[in-house]
Amino acid sequence: MAILGKTQFVLDHKFDRRSSRHSMNGFGHVFHCHHYASLYTQLAEDASFVDARKLLADCSEDTFYPFLRQYYERHETTDPWERLELASQYYAASGLGAMQIRNAGPDSGEVLLAHSHVDEGWMKKWGKNSTPVNHLTRGYIAACFSTAFDRPSRSFEVREVESLVTGAERSRFVVVVK
Amino acid sequence: MAIDRKKIIDDLSKIEVMGNDEGLIPAFGVYITQLPTRFWNSFADRLIRQAGPDLQESAEGLLVNAAHECGYHTGYGIITSDEWNSVVKPMVKKVPEDILYGAYAVFTAWGWAKADIIEIVPNERMVVRAYDYYESDVVSGGISDRPSAYMLRGVSAAFMDLAYGGEYDPTGKSGLYTFKCTQTQGIECGDDYGEFIVQRAA
Repeated sequence: MAILGKTQFVLDHKFDRRSSRHSMNGFGHVFHCHHYASLYTQLAEDASFVDARKLLADCSEDTFYPFLRQYYERHETTDPWERLELASQYYAASGLGAMQIRNAGPDSGEVLLAHSHVDEGWMKKWGKNSTPVNHLTRGYIAACFSTAFDRPSRSFEVREVESLVTGAERSRFVVVVK
Repeated sequence: MAIDRKKIIDDLSKIEVMGNDEGLIPAFGVYITQLPTRFWNSFADRLIRQAGPDLQESAEGLLVNAAHECGYHTGYGIITSDEWNSVVKPMVKKVPEDILYGAYAVFTAWGWAKADIIEIVPNERMVVRAYDYYESDVVSGGISDRPSAYMLRGVSAAFMDLAYGGEYDPTGKSGLYTFKCTQTQGIECGDDYGEFIVQRAA
C-alpha cells in the first residue's frame, strides 16, 4: 500500500492470481506506454465520423469520476480543496504528470501541468503539434471538479488554452461550470 | 520447457510502480501510465460502436495498430530491462522461442491478459490463448458478434516481430508489422477463452 505526499492519497494495490489482474482501490488498472496513449490520441484527432476528441475526454471523465467519488466516500474526505489535492496526487502516481490546481470554486477553476504523459509522450514520438491534444486530462479535470463539488458528471466544461505539446512552458486548462 | 512461468508471474506481479517527482513513469525506454482498464475499453468500444458497419473494420485496425506499436517498443524495453535480466533471462535456453514464452509470462504478471502460447512454428506462426483479459469486460452480459481484444492482437503480432522480424528498429520503420494477428475466439463472444493466431503479414 502506497501513501503519497502530505494529504496521503492511499493506493491499495492488489494482484488477483486467479485472473492475473491488477487493481488499485478496487478498480482494475493496467500499464500502457506513451506509444499507446499517443496513438489513441491521434485516433481521436483524426476520426472524422465522430467527435472523438470529446469522446476521449468523456471516457476519461466517466472512468475517473466513480474512482475519485468512491475514494472520497471511503476516506470521508469532504473538503473540495483537499479532494482536488488528492486528485492531483493520484494523477501523478498514475504517471499522467504533475498537476497543480491553481484555483478552484464551484463555478470555475484553473489547472496547470508542468509535466504531462500525453504531451511529452506525443513529443517523444512525433515532436510538437500545432494544437492541444490532452483530451484525456480535460476529462480527468472535469471529473476532479465534479467530484470535488458534489456535482454530477458533465457539470464542467474544460478547455486547454496553453499546451506543452505546442511549445508552451506549461499546459493550462480553464474550467467553467456548464 | 526452461521457462518457469509461475516463478516469473510470482516475482514480477509484485512490482509496484509510481510516478516520479514529475508525475511521470519512465521505464523500459518509454513513458508508462497505470490507468483504470475502463478508460481504454470505453474509448475503443464507443469508437467502434459509433463508427458504423462501413468504418468498423478500419477503426478496429487502428486500435490494433496502436497496440502493435506499443507492444513492439515496450516489448523490446521489457526484454532488455533489469527486471527481465534478473528474473527471466537466466531461464532462456532456446532463442527466440523461450523469450516469447517468457514474454507471455510477463504479460500475465503485469495484468494485460492471463495468456500463454499454445503453439509456435518458428518464424511462421504462433497461437496464443488468453483465459482472462480486461478487453473482454466490454461485454458484461450476453455475447458479442465481434471479438474486441484489439490490444492483445496488436501486442501478439509485435512479439513475433521482435522474435523473427529482424533487429529491433527504434524508429519502427523496419521490423514492425512483419506479422499480423487474428482473433478467432473471445470470452466477449461467449467462448471459454480468447484465441489469437499470429502469422506473417502478406
